[in-house]
Amino acid sequence: MNDSTMTPVAATTALNAPGPYEHWQVRLDAESILWVDCDRAGKSTNALGEAVIAELDRILEWAEASPLKGLVIGSAKQASFILGADINEFDAYTSADAVAEKIREGHRVFSRLENLDCPTAAAVHGYCLGGGLELALCCDWILAMNVDVTRFGFPEVKLGIFPGLGGTTRITERLGGAAGLELALTARTLRAPVARKLGIVDELVDEFGSLQWSARRAVLRRRRTRGPTRTASLTNTAVARRALGRVMTNKTAAKANPAHYPAPFEMIDLWVEHRDNRRRMFEGEAARVGRLMVSDTARNLRRLFFLTERMKGLGGSNTLPVRRVHVVGAGVMGGDIAAWCVLQGLEVTLQDRELKYIEPALKRAKSLFKKRLKKKQAVASAMNRLLPDLEAKGVARADVVIEAIVENAEAKRELYSTLEPLMKPEAVLATNTSALPLEELARDLADPARLIGLHFFNPVAKMPLVEVVHTSATSQERIDRGCAFATAINRFPLPVKSSPGFLVNRVLAPYLMEAVTLMLEGVEKDLIDAAAIRWGMPMGPVELADTVGLDVCRHVAETLVTGDVEAQAALLDKHIAAGELGKKSGKGFYTWNKGRAERKPVDADSPYGDQLAERLLKPFLAECRAASADRIVADDDLLDAGIVFGTGFAPFRGGPMHYLAGHTPSGN
Amino acid sequence: MAPINQPGLQPVAIVGGLRLPFCRSNTAYSQLSNKKMLATVLSAIVDRYALKGERLGEVNAGAVISHSRDWNLAREATLSSGLDPRTPAITMQQACGTSLQATMVAAAKIASGQMDAAIAAGSDTVSDVPIAFGDKFAGRLVALGKAKTLGQKLSVFKGFGPGELAPKPPSINEPRTLMSMGQHCEQMAKTWQISREAQDELALASHLNAAKAWQDGFFDDLVVPCEGVVRDNNIRADSSMESLAGLRAAYDKTGSGTLTAGNSTPLTDGASGVLLCSESWARERGLPVQAWLTHSMTSAVDFVNGAGLLMAPTLAVSDMLKRANLSLQDFDLYEIHEAFAAQVLCTLAAWEDAEYCQQELDCSGPLGSIDRAKMNVRGSSLAVGHPFAATGARLVGTAAKLLDERGTGRCLLSVCTAGGMGLSAVLER
Repeated sequence: MNDSTMTPVAATTALNAPGPYEHWQVRLDAESILWVDCDRAGKSTNALGEAVIAELDRILEWAEASPLKGLVIGSAKQASFILGADINEFDAYTSADAVAEKIREGHRVFSRLENLDCPTAAAVHGYCLGGGLELALCCDWILAMNVDVTRFGFPEVKLGIFPGLGGTTRITERLGGAAGLELALTARTLRAPVARKLGIVDELVDEFGSLQWSARRAVLRRRRTRGPTRTASLTNTAVARRALGRVMTNKTAAKANPAHYPAPFEMIDLWVEHRDNRRRMFEGEAARVGRLMVSDTARNLRRLFFLTERMKGLGGSNTLPVRRVHVVGAGVMGGDIAAWCVLQGLEVTLQDRELKYIEPALKRAKSLFKKRLKKKQAVASAMNRLLPDLEAKGVARADVVIEAIVENAEAKRELYSTLEPLMKPEAVLATNTSALPLEELARDLADPARLIGLHFFNPVAKMPLVEVVHTSATSQERIDRGCAFATAINRFPLPVKSSPGFLVNRVLAPYLMEAVTLMLEGVEKDLIDAAAIRWGMPMGPVELADTVGLDVCRHVAETLVTGDVEAQAALLDKHIAAGELGKKSGKGFYTWNKGRAERKPVDADSPYGDQLAERLLKPFLAECRAASADRIVADDDLLDAGIVFGTGFAPFRGGPMHYLAGHTPSGN
Repeated sequence: MAPINQPGLQPVAIVGGLRLPFCRSNTAYSQLSNKKMLATVLSAIVDRYALKGERLGEVNAGAVISHSRDWNLAREATLSSGLDPRTPAITMQQACGTSLQATMVAAAKIASGQMDAAIAAGSDTVSDVPIAFGDKFAGRLVALGKAKTLGQKLSVFKGFGPGELAPKPPSINEPRTLMSMGQHCEQMAKTWQISREAQDELALASHLNAAKAWQDGFFDDLVVPCEGVVRDNNIRADSSMESLAGLRAAYDKTGSGTLTAGNSTPLTDGASGVLLCSESWARERGLPVQAWLTHSMTSAVDFVNGAGLLMAPTLAVSDMLKRANLSLQDFDLYEIHEAFAAQVLCTLAAWEDAEYCQQELDCSGPLGSIDRAKMNVRGSSLAVGHPFAATGARLVGTAAKLLDERGTGRCLLSVCTAGGMGLSAVLER
C-alpha cells in the first residue's frame, strides 16, 4: 500500500460520523463506508420501535448529504440481527388511522435507505424477522452468516397482521408474488442457505469468514441484488395475480377462517389488486395493517404471544442443566415423551420390562426423527441418544426421571420405591399420570414432596403444553425445575395444583360429554364438529373424542363429570363393546382411514350452527370459571394460555377467561 | 504439588482436557471439517473455564489429514473460539503424536516463563479428506496459469490422457516402506510372537473399561456433545471374546495374520484439547489444577532398517525414565495409546526383554513389566477410537482427571506415531 491509501479518508474529506445515538452504533471508516449497527438501548435483542426508526431517519439524513462509498446495516447484538417491529408498542395504538400514520412514517424512512445514492448492504447474523427483514430488503445486497441462528421470515400473520413496513411490497418484487406471499402466509423461518436459494439472501458468509469484510467488499464492488427470475416476475402480472390469488386464498381458507383471521386474506387481496402500482401497495399496507393492528383478533393474538413469553420464563432463574432423561414405561405416552426429549438433543434411557415393549417406541421415534431431522446422519445420532434400558441403568445419572406406566397407584408407588434410592438428590422425579392424585402416589417416598407431575398431551410432538402438577407441599424450587425442564424441551409449562383432571382434561370432559349428549338428541356428529370448528376450535369434539379414545372418554365420564351421564356412558359402552375405540382402532364415532376421520362436508354457517356452538361451549366455559374459582392455576391469564395451548381453544378469542370477561371479537 | 525436575523452571499445570465424542469415520461427523471440529472443541474449553476474551500465550494445534487450504488451521479455529483474537496459534503436526507434542511444546514455554497459559489441541477427520489431482495433471494446471497466449495454453495439454484425471486421495501408508501401519504391526506381532487371543483380550478390556467409564459418568465432564452426538460411537459394551474371535484377519490374509478390525483402531473423526498453564495463572482465575506435567520425551527408531515401526515408545519411555530417575514400576497409572492391541503388547514385551532393553534402549537390564490393572483403566483408542491428531490431548485429559480423582499419584503416557516415532510424558499430582 502507498501512503495515500493509508491516510484515513475521513480525515482528508473532513467527514465525521454523526451521533452518538441511543439505539444505533454508527461508525465511519477510513474508506468512507458508514457502518450502522442496531443496538437497542437496554435490551439484549433488537426490535424496531418508534425511537429506533426515528434515529435511523436522522442517520440516513446525514448519509444522504455525505459522499459515502457505502452503508452497511448490521447489529451490535451478539448473534442476533433484528427480531421485528417492537410488539410492545402495538397495544398503545387505539385507532387504525394512528397506526397507518406510523406505518407511513416508517415507509418514508425505509425508502430513504432504499434510495440512497451509495451502495448499501445488510449484514445479517442471527434472527432477521418481520421489520428486520423489511429493513434488510431496502438494501442493495443482503449478506447472511451461514450459521444455525441466522433465520429469515415474516411471522406477522401469527400476530393477526401482515408485513406492513414495505415488506409485502418488496418481498413480492424480489421473489415474485407466489414465493413472496407464501413466505409471509406460512410464517416460516428459513435458515440462511434456504433463504439464499429462494433469493432473499444474496451472499452467504461461511462461519469462518467475516461478515464485516464480506460486506465491505460487497459495497465497494457495488453489488446489487439480481431481482426476481423471469418466471417469478411473471407471477406479478395481472392475469397471474388473479389466478394465483384465487388459489392462495382457497389454500389459506382451508387452514384459517377469514372471519377469524383476516390478515392473510387482506395481504393476498392487496397484492392482487395493486401489485402493478408501488405507491398503492405501500398505501394499502398502511391502511390495511392499520385496521388489522387494532382489531380484537390481533390484540388477542398479541396477548397470547406475551403469555407464551411469560410461560417460557416460569422456570425462573433455574439453570440446572438437563443432559439425561430416564423414562419408565415405553407405551404411547412414555415412548413419545422419550422420543421428543431425544429430538430436543437430550440423551434418554427408556425403561420397560422387555425389549419387545420398547421396540414399537423406537420405531415411532425413528419415524419422528426422519420427519423432523431429515438428514440420515442426524437421524442416526438421534437414535444413538435413545437407549433401551431394561435394567434401569440410566436412573442414577438422569437429571429428570419420568414415570409413564399404567394408571395404577399401587404399581406406581412400587416403582418409585425402587427409583428413589438410585436417583441423584437434585434430580426431578415426575409422573405423567393424567388422573391419579400426586399425594396418593407420593405417599411412600422418603421425601413425598419430591414427586411432581409432568403431564404431556397426546400426540406429544404436536401438543405444545405440559402441565407441571404440584401439591401444596411442593417447593417452589421443584416447580421451577419442572417448568425449566419443559421450556428446555421446547414445551410451554403450566403449573397446576393437583386436582381431578388438572386443568385441560377437567375442562375438556364436560365439553366432550355435551357433544355426546347432542348426539343422543339426534344431532348429526358432522354438524356438531362443524359448528365447533366454525366457532374457532381446531377440531370438533366428536373427532376429538375419537382421537383421545372412547375408552378413555368413558373413564373420564366416570371420574371427571358430575351429574347424570348414564345415557352418555351407555352410548360409549356400546361402541367400546363393539371394539370401536376411535382413531386407534380405525372406528369410533367416525370411520378412520389412514389416520383421518371420514367427515362429511356440512354447513354449520347458520343461526342453528351458532346455537350448537353455544351449547357445546357453555359447559366448557363454565368449567373454566370453576377451575379459576378453585385457583388451580396462578391466575386467569395463565389459565387462558393453558387452555389455548392444551385444547387449541380459538386463539383469536384470547382464551376462555378473556372471552368470558367480554372481550369478544366484533362481528361474532 | 509435585516437584519439577529442573530448578528455576515453573511447574506446568494441567487444568483439564475436553473433547468431542469420537465417531467412526463417515458417520455423524461426515459433514464436519477439521476447522469446525477444532473450533468447536476450543470454544468448549473457553466456555468450561470462562476464557471468553482471554488472551492466551498460544494455541498449539494440528491435524494429520489436512486440506492445503487449512494451512493456518489453528489460528483460524482460534479466531472462532471466543478467545481474545490477539491469541496467536501455531499449526503443527507430528502424526498421531500431534496434540501430545503440542502439549509438550506449550509446557516447555510455560516452564521456561515465556508464557503463562496455552491450549494444546488436535483434530482429525477421515471423512473430509483432501483429494488432489496426480502430479502430471497438477503440473499442467500450474503451467496453464503461467501461459499467456492461446497457443501456449493449448500446448499445455499436449499429450493429455484421461488417466491423468484420476484423483489421488492421501495415502496413510508409510512413504518409505509402502506398507500400511497395520502391515507393519502385523510384522511386529510376529517378531514378538503376540497371539491373537492376547490381542483380543486387550481389545475387550479396552471396550469394557470405556463402556464402564461412560456408565459411571467418568466422561461426562471430559466430553462435550457435538452434532447431536453425546457419546463415542465406537465403544461396544456388549463386546466379547467370542465376537472378537469371529473377525477375520485384516492385514495378513494368508492365514497367519492376527490383526483384525476388532483389535485395531478404526478410522475415527474427532477433536480434543487441553488447557495448561502456570500455577499462578490458574490460581488467579480460580481454576483447578488436575495434575502437573513433569516430564516428556520424543524419540524415534530406525524402522527402515529393521526396527519395528511402532516400537519408538519403548525408547521414549526408557530415555525419559533415565532422565527422571524413575523406574517403569514407579507409576500408579499408565495411559498407553492403543494403535493396535499388538503394538501395545509388543511394547510391553520389549520392556520385559533383557536383550532388547540392552541393545535398543541402552539399559543394563529389562525395564520389567507393568501392572496391567493400572493400564488404560478407562479404556483407550481401541474402544473410543483414534482421530490421529486428537489422541494425545485425549490421553492428557484422561490422565489428568484420573489423577485428580485419586488426589495423588503418577501417570505414564505414551503414544506411537507414523514414521517410527514415539512420545512419552509423565503427569503427577
